[in-house]
Amino acid sequence: MTEVIWHARGGQGAFTAARCLGAAATLSAGAHALAFPTFGPERRGAPMCAYTKISHAPIGDRSAVQRADIVVYLDETLLHDGWESELAPGGIMLLNTSHATDDARIIGLDADAISANILGRPIPNTAFLGAIAAVSDAVALEDIHAGIKATMSERLQEKNLKIASAAYEALTSCNGRTTGERKANAREGNNAASEAFAQALSHAKARPEGRFTPQLHSTFSADPSQFARSTCFTAGHLVSENAGWRSVKPVLDPDACTMCLSCYMSCPDGTIYKMCNDAGAATALGIDYGFCKGCGVCAEVCPAHCIAMIPEEDAEVRA
Amino acid sequence: MPLNARTITDEELFYGHKACPGCGGALVVRQALKVLGPHAIAALPAGCMSATGFNFPQLAFGNNAMITPFASTAAVLSGIEAGLRAQGAKPEDCTVVGFAGDGGTADIGLQALSGAIDRNDDILYICYDNEAYMNTGIQRSSLTPYGASTTTTPASKREHGSITHKKSLFDIVCAHELPYAATASIGYMNDLLRKVETARNIAGTRFLHIMAPCPVGWGFPSKDLMSVAKEAVDTGLWYLAEYEGPTVSGVPGGRFKLNRNPRAFAPIAGYLQRQKRFSADDAADIEAIERARDERWEMMRSRWA
Repeated sequence: MTEVIWHARGGQGAFTAARCLGAAATLSAGAHALAFPTFGPERRGAPMCAYTKISHAPIGDRSAVQRADIVVYLDETLLHDGWESELAPGGIMLLNTSHATDDARIIGLDADAISANILGRPIPNTAFLGAIAAVSDAVALEDIHAGIKATMSERLQEKNLKIASAAYEALTSCNGRTTGERKANAREGNNAASEAFAQALSHAKARPEGRFTPQLHSTFSADPSQFARSTCFTAGHLVSENAGWRSVKPVLDPDACTMCLSCYMSCPDGTIYKMCNDAGAATALGIDYGFCKGCGVCAEVCPAHCIAMIPEEDAEVRA
Repeated sequence: MPLNARTITDEELFYGHKACPGCGGALVVRQALKVLGPHAIAALPAGCMSATGFNFPQLAFGNNAMITPFASTAAVLSGIEAGLRAQGAKPEDCTVVGFAGDGGTADIGLQALSGAIDRNDDILYICYDNEAYMNTGIQRSSLTPYGASTTTTPASKREHGSITHKKSLFDIVCAHELPYAATASIGYMNDLLRKVETARNIAGTRFLHIMAPCPVGWGFPSKDLMSVAKEAVDTGLWYLAEYEGPTVSGVPGGRFKLNRNPRAFAPIAGYLQRQKRFSADDAADIEAIERARDERWEMMRSRWA
């Protein structure tokens, strides 16, 4: 049995890819397959999981996969310490990244760049179908093509076939002659290839330009129990933060802020709060990064243009 | 003193919820609860705000809140209010408030709402209208506007989306001659806050119909939430109105008021084009939407203005 765990954010197409992989295995390769997502209030941007199981025998175990042969991360920001506990012995992780990795268990693929080049916007799911064909014996690229044709509308097929093929080529382009050699090469010597590929395509990744040079202020540390005073806290609730949903974060320029409070009134999550002086007058605004989801409403409504949305990875570097 | 950004409480009573980024409905619940205060008791039927506000073992509500069966928001509100009174446990500043979506109000919960108004139970019913069943994945409701593509009214060669116009829920509710009803939009926040405050201070059944755009279901970037909400009003496709029933206004049949009556509307083509749900609409559809809007405004201006 080959088992795959897909980590993604709602809206990135992880379940579509999980199902397509299962269809590829059953329709073309003649295997049995199961594909299902986790259930719960998954929302656009929220971290979610999907699973694919492929086997030559009928599959009786319908539970979620705990340890997988292949773990896919469609979004690099979802990767946390302890990820290796999901790997079965000999398992590998496929990561959507533009950076090179030095861990032999991690295979990097710049799926955002590949899909942005072909689709015009980064939708990384089908690139990883090609990547799985390159690194796993469970399915071949032709099977993946059959799966895409079977599960996607005609309008989407052509470009997604190209994406899957491009990802397959990116991981198998290091000199293998036979399929077996190519797969072996892809698994072992892939990092050099993916690094070169990432460099070639990195220009395709456009970085949003801020309207000013954002500065991070470490004084903006929020304790929701101070201002979101409610029974939730006495009951020990509200401990699960929403920050994992965010790929961009709002950064406020306190010198340009006029305290008009437009952002405060418009935040659907109430994460912008007033910081008061000793007399109780609001003198500045803070943002609770623990619960901000990065929707960007605050930056859009700010008449002084003093909130910029900056990518999380840049924010980490600056902090 | 009017409620605004400076005078409203800093306390957050709807916090840490799991709604999508840029959710209009979540902003309605957040701001309404800030006006109603921590002693408000909320009841929510199946819908986005109950799916994202109650995450066992967590609760995003700072006040008491419970989930009701889909069809019975108003009936549960009646029960909560009667129960509190019977126990002598109702605080002076306690508003029993329901937050239901457009489907949970105009389709599934309409009977219970009508019953509660008929009994004139002391409750506030807030419908946050995102114009389709968003929680279950964007199915058409009777408040979905003409030409909007949903999963049950998909745009195709023959039809370009919903073939019916938005049902006038406000008129249906006002026909009951209840004490107070109003429409509002998160795009006009001070007007919204004033209406929640007005409703809070009136006894009997009160109803608010609040437009709350949904970035996922309508197909626009989440950052555009407020400008889409405002544009819906500026184009005349949504209206800000108030109704005071005979008991409040002293006028037989009640008194209507248009809070915003612009001389000219913003062009609707731009509003439609920025939303994916209208992307299949052609010139004939836009004309049909415009005609329906003009007829509606002719009625409102002649009778309410």
